[in-house]
Amino acid sequence: MALDEFVAELDQLAEAAAESFSLATDASMLEELRVKILGAKSGQLKSVQKGLGKMDPADKPLAGKHFNQTKQRIDEAYSFAQQRLASVPSQQDSACFDATEPGRQPRIGHLHPITQTVQELKDIFGRLGFSVAEGPEIEDERHNFDALNIDPSHPARDPLDNFYLQTAHSGAASLDDEAKTVDCALESPWLLRSQTSTVQIRVMEENPPPIRIVSLGRVYRPDTADATHYPMFHQIEGLLVDTNVTMADLKTVLRIFCSSYLGEEVHVRFRPSFFPFTEPSVEVDMQWGEGWVEMGGAGMVDPNVFRAVGYDPEKVTGFAFGLGVERLCARRFGITDIREFFKNDVRFLEQF
Amino acid sequence: MIVSWNWLQQYVPLEMSPAELEKRLTDCGLNHEGSEKVSDDLAIDLEVTSNRPDCLGHLGVAREIAVLYDLPLTEPDPQLTVGLPIGADEATVCLDASDLCSRYTARVIRGVKVGPSPEWLVNRLRTIYQTKQNANWEPINNVVDITNYVLLESGQPLHAFDLNRVEGRKIVVRRAEKNEQLVAINHKTYTLDSEMCVIADQKRPIALGGVMGGAETEVSLETTDLLIESAMFAPLAIRSTARKLALFSDSSYRFERGPDPRSVDWASRRCCELILELAGGELAEGMIDVGTPPAARDPIVLRLPEIERLLGIEVPSEQVDRILVALGNELEGNAQKTLTVIPPTWRRDLSREVDLIEEVARIYGYDKIPEDRQVPICASSRSREDRAKDRLYHALTAAGFDEVVTPSAVDVKTGSIYSPWSTHAPIQSKVPMLRGADRLRTSLIPSLLSVRRTNENVGVDPIEIFELASVYLATPEGGSEKWHTERKMLGFCSGRDFFEMKGMIEALLLALGIHSPIQIKDMSDTFFSKGHCAELQLRGECLGFLGEVSESTRKIFGLRSPAFVAELSFSVLLAAAELIPKARSLSPYPTIGRDFNFEVEEKIRWSDFAATVERAAGEHLESIEHLETYRDKKRLGAGRKSLVLKVVLRKADGTLTGEEAEGISQSIDAACSKEHGASLRT
Repeated sequence: MALDEFVAELDQLAEAAAESFSLATDASMLEELRVKILGAKSGQLKSVQKGLGKMDPADKPLAGKHFNQTKQRIDEAYSFAQQRLASVPSQQDSACFDATEPGRQPRIGHLHPITQTVQELKDIFGRLGFSVAEGPEIEDERHNFDALNIDPSHPARDPLDNFYLQTAHSGAASLDDEAKTVDCALESPWLLRSQTSTVQIRVMEENPPPIRIVSLGRVYRPDTADATHYPMFHQIEGLLVDTNVTMADLKTVLRIFCSSYLGEEVHVRFRPSFFPFTEPSVEVDMQWGEGWVEMGGAGMVDPNVFRAVGYDPEKVTGFAFGLGVERLCARRFGITDIREFFKNDVRFLEQF
Repeated sequence: MIVSWNWLQQYVPLEMSPAELEKRLTDCGLNHEGSEKVSDDLAIDLEVTSNRPDCLGHLGVAREIAVLYDLPLTEPDPQLTVGLPIGADEATVCLDASDLCSRYTARVIRGVKVGPSPEWLVNRLRTIYQTKQNANWEPINNVVDITNYVLLESGQPLHAFDLNRVEGRKIVVRRAEKNEQLVAINHKTYTLDSEMCVIADQKRPIALGGVMGGAETEVSLETTDLLIESAMFAPLAIRSTARKLALFSDSSYRFERGPDPRSVDWASRRCCELILELAGGELAEGMIDVGTPPAARDPIVLRLPEIERLLGIEVPSEQVDRILVALGNELEGNAQKTLTVIPPTWRRDLSREVDLIEEVARIYGYDKIPEDRQVPICASSRSREDRAKDRLYHALTAAGFDEVVTPSAVDVKTGSIYSPWSTHAPIQSKVPMLRGADRLRTSLIPSLLSVRRTNENVGVDPIEIFELASVYLATPEGGSEKWHTERKMLGFCSGRDFFEMKGMIEALLLALGIHSPIQIKDMSDTFFSKGHCAELQLRGECLGFLGEVSESTRKIFGLRSPAFVAELSFSVLLAAAELIPKARSLSPYPTIGRDFNFEVEEKIRWSDFAATVERAAGEHLESIEHLETYRDKKRLGAGRKSLVLKVVLRKADGTLTGEEAEGISQSIDAACSKEHGASLRT
């Protein structure tokens, strides 16, 4: 064995030992380390020492000297650690324990306030027997308008009031065939849904009555973003269809919902309104503190909607309602600018 | 619609207080937006829904009040004295665009004296216009003020032309020619197109039909002969014309919604009556009337039991009768439990039984509908998707991640920078959602990086975010029905390193009850730092992508600190999720742990190595824990590394003996040595 290798090995051992001893947190741990490093039978130092025997005799004196120095260094590190541990006050020693020092907090993330609100809404309506139905955000005109009794001349269909879609024109020449398919694909207009009522249609098309669902999700309407408007927002839409469903049932369900959401008995108020897919149509207000707060729209499902999905309006009746999630959420948390929801400043999110 | 308290008094006696009236109107569908005092009058602002153009005039609002309070309604009945008939050369009308204008009528008044309006008329208009437009509103002249007055009274827009300035004294209702120009009475010049309806004379357009009159034929102090237009224009065409020209008027507002067809004649007569009274002159006998007069309304049958079936309350039949008749319906028949009515011309929204039921409910009062019915209970269960989402939400928030919600559309640059799920161009929105954002996103990652920048800019640290939302992919191969797909994605963005992110994804899989390991498929994408990215696979299917974004990507997004991102397919997660696991029996016997330190060549990958250990350990293996990968050129040499791992062994049916453990250790050693050339370091 070469001298420099032997020296390097000793140095490394000394360093590692010093570090290990300094990290020991109690006496038993230190003892374990002592046996491992300084143990007389099979300690690490002992096994290095075996190398001394295989040394070139010429190198032996120097190697021996270095070995002794190393042993001394390790011994010192060991006794230093012993002293250190002896002076550590025990946890029980109240004089050396300051409970007012800050705790070490794990970082816990936050669900977006919109999601929290959506979850609560699903929860409340779930208890009222409404199951959650999902639907696509990209819709055809049948589901977004026609089946909802919104006729082709209705202003709600104005191209400037909706996000109608097109596929991008591909620049690559090799994609000629594909471009053709795309053109034919968008012969009929598609758009980002402007309301979650589209899900009503999909559910009724696929299921016979009775129906009791809520659908929640993103909806889109062109609007300049300001404190109370955003071109993307969230809606919750409810639908209950059965024999003998009346407007009194609608009012009851909404009253129970509002009371559950606010945690106290409140009343709801209907004001006449106009939506193509319900007749009668009403605006719903709920009592909030001293006044009335607009919650959203509701009404009895229009017979034309039933006919569009193959239900017989002589046999079933139903109600539908749509509430704005941002409004319910903003009001509850005291958020005055709905743009905050979509800016996602972590400091904003962490408040909820 | 702003109405004047004093003006309404003309048609219906207002015995209630304004506050009381405002509330009742709100409750019946005319939402009260606010009121303002204008000298001795009160301007009341009411929101009128698009199905109720009849309430865009004082008479219509007065009718609602009369019905609500069961008061008499006094409608003016215009009385006209006439002179000589309209001469053959005096005025003619030619209707060449009956699709844009279904009916056009004209009356002629000769020898008027145009001048200022009397005070009562100015006051009426002032209440409305001063509130709506501005404090500096000024009346124009008696003739123009009267046309405005009648519009605000009946909801029917009118226009008065200076007949002597109408070239050839001939009115032609036609489509505009492309790029034809018109100077409107607001003295702005508008360039027209062939979708717009113009009122022209022999030479040129003199008005934009249903939207605004022209400056050249407007009534002035010199005017003596008038042509009074009262017509019916097509709502959609009016709407698109007004929008294209950004020219919105009281007239276009009403024609968009469709005024009462009966008012075409009534308003014309009413206007002439007032002009004769206030500006003198002689009304020519007769009216030029071209186009289609309003069709008769079909009767509607209302079965009284339907009211209760829909509203849940019974409304006394005499109330039903009264409400419907007071609203202007003509009672045709009243058989056993059935009413037959002809709806009034001004209520085109009434054509079905259910429409009448709404009228009854609205006037009878929604406050009479109870809110304490017994709604039958019914089972509802949470969807698998919602359950899975909840697991993810819990795990992610526990891991310190904040949820964000970002817009579904991005701008073209952001939309093209990273698109791992599709090679097709993103779907475009014809109208941008936010500034320039007209591409539906094909990945959540760019949105998350933008949020990261927003937060870096305000000094937030750490920024650990995720979003669960859809991406939108064009799929032209799917044909016209399936030209796109929406896929829900779970995206993350963090400052944590690759293995922390990978570990979190592994933890998420466990939270969903997925015990299959993630497989790594090598990939390269300049979006990511070279080598520091991977495709993640689950049971051979692409689950998503993970990596550190490259320096150049960071530059594009203006990010200062390293960013690690991952995007997982929610549908793949959901398909694999085992949300209701079955309990398995636990061994009561102790474990034996064995640490190994294998030296291998750098090219040996952990996943392969661990698989060998697993195979060699056999049935008593409980877990393999990777402790460390150790590289040291000096001690191990270049191209070599040591894998430090812990193997935990346990038997299901007894205590594992030291000899058994030793045997397993030897098999592991042998297998690793054979398959990977690994040597144990001691």
